[in-house]
Amino acid sequence: MNPARTVIGLSLAIAGVLVLLLMWRPGAGNSAGGQAAVPGRPLLVYCAAGLKVPVEAVAREYERRTGVPVQLQFGGSGLLLNNLRVARRGDLFLAADHTFLDAGRSNGLVNEVLPLARMQAVIVTPKDNPKNLRSLQDLVQPGVQIAFANPDAAAIGVLCRQVLERSNVWAALQPRIKVFKPTVNDVANDVKLGTVDAGIVWDAVVTAYPELTSHRDPTLDAATADVGIGVLSFTEQPAAALRFARFLGARDAGLPVLASHGYSVVEGDVWSERPEIVLYSGGVNRLAIENTIREFEEREGVSISRVYNGCGILTAQIRSGQRPDAYFACDVSFMTPVSSFFRPHTVLSETRILILTQPGNPKGIRSLEDLAQSGLSLGIANEQQSALGALTQRLLDAEGLTARVLPNVRVQTPTADLLVNQVRAGGLDAALVYAANVSNVRDHLGIVELPQPLAMAAQPYAVGRDSKNARLMERLLQRLRSAESRRQFEDLGFRWRDTVSTQ
Amino acid sequence: MKAADRSPARRRSDRIFLASFILLGGSYLLILVAMLAADVGYTSPGHLWRALQSPEIRYAIRLSLLSCSLSALLSLWVAVPIGYLMARWQFPGKGVVDALLDIPIVLPPLVIGLSLLILFQTPPGRAVERFIPVTYAVPSVILAQFMVACAFAVRTLRATFDQISPRHEQVALTLGCSRSEAFWRVVLPEARRGVLTAGTLAWARSLGEFGPILVFSGATRFKTEVLSTTVFLELSVGNLEAAVAVSLLMVIAAVGVLVLIRSQGIESTLGRPL
Repeated sequence: MNPARTVIGLSLAIAGVLVLLLMWRPGAGNSAGGQAAVPGRPLLVYCAAGLKVPVEAVAREYERRTGVPVQLQFGGSGLLLNNLRVARRGDLFLAADHTFLDAGRSNGLVNEVLPLARMQAVIVTPKDNPKNLRSLQDLVQPGVQIAFANPDAAAIGVLCRQVLERSNVWAALQPRIKVFKPTVNDVANDVKLGTVDAGIVWDAVVTAYPELTSHRDPTLDAATADVGIGVLSFTEQPAAALRFARFLGARDAGLPVLASHGYSVVEGDVWSERPEIVLYSGGVNRLAIENTIREFEEREGVSISRVYNGCGILTAQIRSGQRPDAYFACDVSFMTPVSSFFRPHTVLSETRILILTQPGNPKGIRSLEDLAQSGLSLGIANEQQSALGALTQRLLDAEGLTARVLPNVRVQTPTADLLVNQVRAGGLDAALVYAANVSNVRDHLGIVELPQPLAMAAQPYAVGRDSKNARLMERLLQRLRSAESRRQFEDLGFRWRDTVSTQ
Repeated sequence: MKAADRSPARRRSDRIFLASFILLGGSYLLILVAMLAADVGYTSPGHLWRALQSPEIRYAIRLSLLSCSLSALLSLWVAVPIGYLMARWQFPGKGVVDALLDIPIVLPPLVIGLSLLILFQTPPGRAVERFIPVTYAVPSVILAQFMVACAFAVRTLRATFDQISPRHEQVALTLGCSRSEAFWRVVLPEARRGVLTAGTLAWARSLGEFGPILVFSGATRFKTEVLSTTVFLELSVGNLEAAVAVSLLMVIAAVGVLVLIRSQGIESTLGRPL
């Protein structure tokens, strides 16, 4: 036989058999613990290798409940960040420290970040601890040998060096460092093997080593890392990605598993496959936030019931026991009475109060005082029902005009858009409304600006103190603070004022 | 010279020579065996058994063995022609080609993985991915192993063909063989030991491959997890016993396959003895 044909034929046949064996997946259906014939597109999660055990358990539970396969890709956080930057595929990135998520965010690779847990730097020694090492003071003694995570690459190395330098311990500790290791687990492995006397690692890491024990040192308490999961900007299924992230960060789903592995977990939301949320919002904000909320609903896979009304009515509802997940008030003065039910608020925008007149301003109105002229028909917002009404009243009181202007008031409405319509219809000579109410009618009606500092409403957003979806509502706030959302506010005549309250 | 002619002095010097060589070589072997013994001491039959029972590790074993065999075979397909051409042909720029062929040996393995990852994000790479998913899938494991293993196979075969005298080939040519016939009937049979060595070297190299796989294929369980990845994953959660157990499985698999091929391989890989 022709030897060429024999060799080529034989090797091709072997290659064919190998490829077939590779493609043949015995029991592929129940791989990763899922059910056979799982529906749903798989999720690709880049996961810091140190978190493998708890995250694997949570992923299997998620697959069991939802049928969506979760593929976990393990590695050091820094390595994974580089990988996903090049590969530009995948859905989520679970990093051992927020610095990696921040880096991903500033590179445009990561969008939403959900916090999960906090880790604390501790000294680790074998359980029997022959040299009796319990503090940094003990570690700097001559003859002690320790392992330290690389202070340029590993998160714990970077943080601990900073903290130790600040407290002037670094110089004394450095001669005791026998080896720098690339990851925190390598440090723990060295202590376990007995290569060194002690090391500095995260407290959660020690839980995986029954033969080791940890010691807190007050100096090291400043070195903490925040474990979090970020949604990758190039994911093609953001709602599915966020659903798993919410599961992992839920107080009744993923977080207890992390806690059982030694992590100090954050306060998470309550798990629901499709959360139903209630948002209270002053009517003036409706147009500015409606688009953003719709996009948020779609991206997160949640339903938000919006209740738009005069803020007086909303606060009354809250005081009578209603508990919205978040409240976006028309003015800070309508947040204060109910602030005990909410977390600290953020003022997003402001809008000025102005006088709306008939086209060409036939009554010659130039200031608040001109509203007192006899025979004028004026519309204002209701003081009890709306923030605008209350602010109008405060403004008139401060100017000492209440007694002279009130006789001209023909109508009081719960929201300002009713006033705008009545001026347009010719039923009123003038009305006191927000600048944000008149963006559509500026060209058709007359406008008189008011210089008084009190002629202003500032809109605060706050998350319900006991909301089961507080993290989710914080993400909505992030969305509302985005440049795209800001543009919508400004297009409607709001001024942007994004500050976090200090109360 | 007959043995009886040897003087006692010479026999003594021979013994010293042999003893010193055995001592030097034996010291290496001793460390090797001591390492394995330390490994065995660090784990237990229980850990080994648990490792073998775990479906993740069983998948990793199967993927490792199959992907190594395939990448070794692919390496031979490529390395035989390259080795032959480099040994027999002179052409301008040969020095550059020679240096290029060494790149996978010189570069840190992580860099190979990173370069592959970048390659498959370029337009041609993406075009390939549209037909066969490579990145983070099984083909990436084989490609990553192949890129490194092949360089070793090329080195070995180049040396093999260099050592085979071109005389037999030329005789075959003068007797009327075509170049192809001369190669298949004369050169390749002469090179069979080299081919076998190159194949086993490529196979072993693929089994131990880790850096490029971690970057280019990821470490996804039931998908791209090979045995070296398993060791890394177990180490990264502090499970040293399991890491050692899997390492020992790798040693057993490697020794088993290498012994099998070396004892039987000459006949089975190249057909009947030539």
